[in-house]
Amino acid sequence: MLEGVEENKSGERVQIDGKNLLDRVFPFQIRKYSMFKGEAELDIFKSDGALTNLINLFSDAKHYEKYSEKGSFLRDKAEKAVEDSTKSDKNKEAAYKKLEWDIKQLEDEKYKLSIHLNSTEEEIRKIEGNLQAAGSYVKNATALDTINTRIKNLDERISDMHRKIDENYTTSLFDESWIAVNFETIHHEFAEKVSQLSIDRRKLQSEFDKQKGIKEGERKARAELLNNAVPLPIGIPSKAHMEEMLRDQICKVCNREALKDSDPYKFMMKRLDEYLTSQAHKEEKEEPTTSEEPLFKNDYTNRLVNLGVSHEDNLKNLRGVRTKIKDLFEFNADRKKDIEELNEQLEKEKAERDKILGNSSIAEEKLVDVLKNYNSWQDDLKHRNRENVDYNARLKVVSTDLKAKKDEKDGIDLKSANLFLIKTRAILRDIETIFKDTKEMKFDEFIAKLQTKSNSFFGKINIESFTGTIVFTKRIKANKSYVEIELQEEGRTFYKPNQSLLTSMHISILFAISELASEIKEENFPMIFDAPTSSFGENKTAEFLNLIYETENQKILLIKDFLSTDKETKALSIKNEFEHVKRNKAFWIKLERPFDKNNLKTLNTQVITL
Amino acid sequence: MENLFDKWKTKIPKYSEVHKDLFNSLSQKFGAEGEKKINLGKHFSTNYELYMYAFFLGLYNEEFSPIPDTEKKTDFSHHIQHWGSKTTISTRNDFTNLQENIFLSLIAKTNVDFIALEQGAIKEEEVVKALIQTMESYTNGGLILIKEKIEENPNYFLQPTSFLNLILDSKPGKTKKKKQKEDAE
Repeated sequence: MLEGVEENKSGERVQIDGKNLLDRVFPFQIRKYSMFKGEAELDIFKSDGALTNLINLFSDAKHYEKYSEKGSFLRDKAEKAVEDSTKSDKNKEAAYKKLEWDIKQLEDEKYKLSIHLNSTEEEIRKIEGNLQAAGSYVKNATALDTINTRIKNLDERISDMHRKIDENYTTSLFDESWIAVNFETIHHEFAEKVSQLSIDRRKLQSEFDKQKGIKEGERKARAELLNNAVPLPIGIPSKAHMEEMLRDQICKVCNREALKDSDPYKFMMKRLDEYLTSQAHKEEKEEPTTSEEPLFKNDYTNRLVNLGVSHEDNLKNLRGVRTKIKDLFEFNADRKKDIEELNEQLEKEKAERDKILGNSSIAEEKLVDVLKNYNSWQDDLKHRNRENVDYNARLKVVSTDLKAKKDEKDGIDLKSANLFLIKTRAILRDIETIFKDTKEMKFDEFIAKLQTKSNSFFGKINIESFTGTIVFTKRIKANKSYVEIELQEEGRTFYKPNQSLLTSMHISILFAISELASEIKEENFPMIFDAPTSSFGENKTAEFLNLIYETENQKILLIKDFLSTDKETKALSIKNEFEHVKRNKAFWIKLERPFDKNNLKTLNTQVITL
Repeated sequence: MENLFDKWKTKIPKYSEVHKDLFNSLSQKFGAEGEKKINLGKHFSTNYELYMYAFFLGLYNEEFSPIPDTEKKTDFSHHIQHWGSKTTISTRNDFTNLQENIFLSLIAKTNVDFIALEQGAIKEEEVVKALIQTMESYTNGGLILIKEKIEENPNYFLQPTSFLNLILDSKPGKTKKKKQKEDAE
């Protein structure tokens, strides 16, 4: 039950509702971070949002929140407008919808991956903590470290070997075209069929031309080939080759002389002429003037011949496939042998580690527990680390794909959407980025300041003893940012601080916040601690109290230290050491003696100003 | 110059519903690249990979088995031209070359009167239909071979090398000779 007393202008004092008054003079948002009962409560940052809320309360970042929301809202609207404008282009509609769908899929995938990644990272931190705690039981910690490094190296080499082994044979069937390994006979079957078709076609054409007696046909019919053979298609050999052979006066097909004005020379010349007229002919008559129907309305053959020729080169590769597979099999078998050897070494090292772990400072049964877990933690850690790498790699791939899809979508927009809308969207996209970045920046600035201040207090409280560094890390969980506090030793998380170190860390952070708050808000509030330092020794408490004296804000502490009891009279007194503690005011609240053990009414509190 | 290949690849070939279970158990419908690494070599990433595999297996073993009229046909609504060009996965190669290999085999193995086609006596559509039918018949043959393997030994395909070995061992002509030998005996 709280009672409040308020004084009005004329100096009259009136009774008012205490709770109401307290809320007015000491807002509850601040109170949450100002009143602490015992050491356990100092760690107010355990709940996910606490520190973030606090930072938002004091940092400039909170002013930018509404801008960044508005920025997102405007950008969304602009995106929608561009999309609608593009969709009105019916030609692109299907492709656009497919892209939208792909983008959505990829974004979902990316979101899922980032969640997996987050939880894996958290898991890794947890396991590392457990391992460090277990490691501290072991007497020969350096040897344990060395052997752990060796095991880690072996593990890495083994997983490296595993990576090198490519047993994805079924995928290679397609990606490396291994499945076409037996294709050669089929290819020959195809080639024979198509070349026969080509011959048949030309034969028929030639017959047809002969029958019809078309001028061009007549020439072809009088092709003067021996045995009335079917002539080669016009244009083979090519114009360039024909010209070369005429120039050199040699038929390079049959390797015989073809001197100028000889029959072979004339024959070649005629073939070239035929080709040239056939080309000129085509250009002249775009509209066929002849009313005659051609024999062949379509020409599928030519394309088939070309397809066959282009695959001819491929046969060479196919002949090599079996060797490639054999080589890969051998390579994989060798790597497996390597892995076996490495695994043997690994087993030896692990046995060695068990020996070191056996030599420890805790009771046997508990040791068995720790040992059992130690090895499985190591395994878990390995798995999680591997998963972590895997997730990161996949996230990278998805992000690249996503960017490509978005660019493709923007490309369609550029062609189809209203230019004004696109420009507006570009501006709003930039604005959103600026708002977001500024918010992040202000937030980060505040954290950086907080970190510096906290560490400076931390150092002062733990004068001439180990502290490590307090590090504030921003993490994103489910699209919200959180701040986590870690104690680090040379850049590595220090998982097992003792209670006193932990308490001083929490107090340092609280002091830093209080100081920053008074800088920013220009009003300050007291901090009230009830027995915050029970794990501190008397010396450290004294240093701590001296430090508090030097800080600016008001701090109220309740402690039970600096008391001594006279061995004979059992009378309590304050130790002389307290004389050296700097303070503004100190009161000793003491039970008045003597009192009747059986009568509550005889109990009285005595307040002594020290 | 007309192009049968371009026409053919716009089609979606079918398979008999009898083999639907095979597709469910042997292929990762949605392209599970990266995931399920333990299954390497034991599965196909997509339905059309299994389809192509069955086609080549049927082709090499000369198992030409048209889908009987009594069996219902189904497909996985994926045009041949999109086989291999997966949208969300950038780590795989495209299959244009293999598409051409399939097409070449179909031309080699299908009885088409090209002269009649070029003279306009038969329609392009008819020829493409015949090609697709050949494709479906060899695939059906290949699927039957796979099924027989599984019936013989349900664990056959649990080895990462199983699918590869089956292809390596199927040389065209080999089966023919074997069959002829059997017939002679």
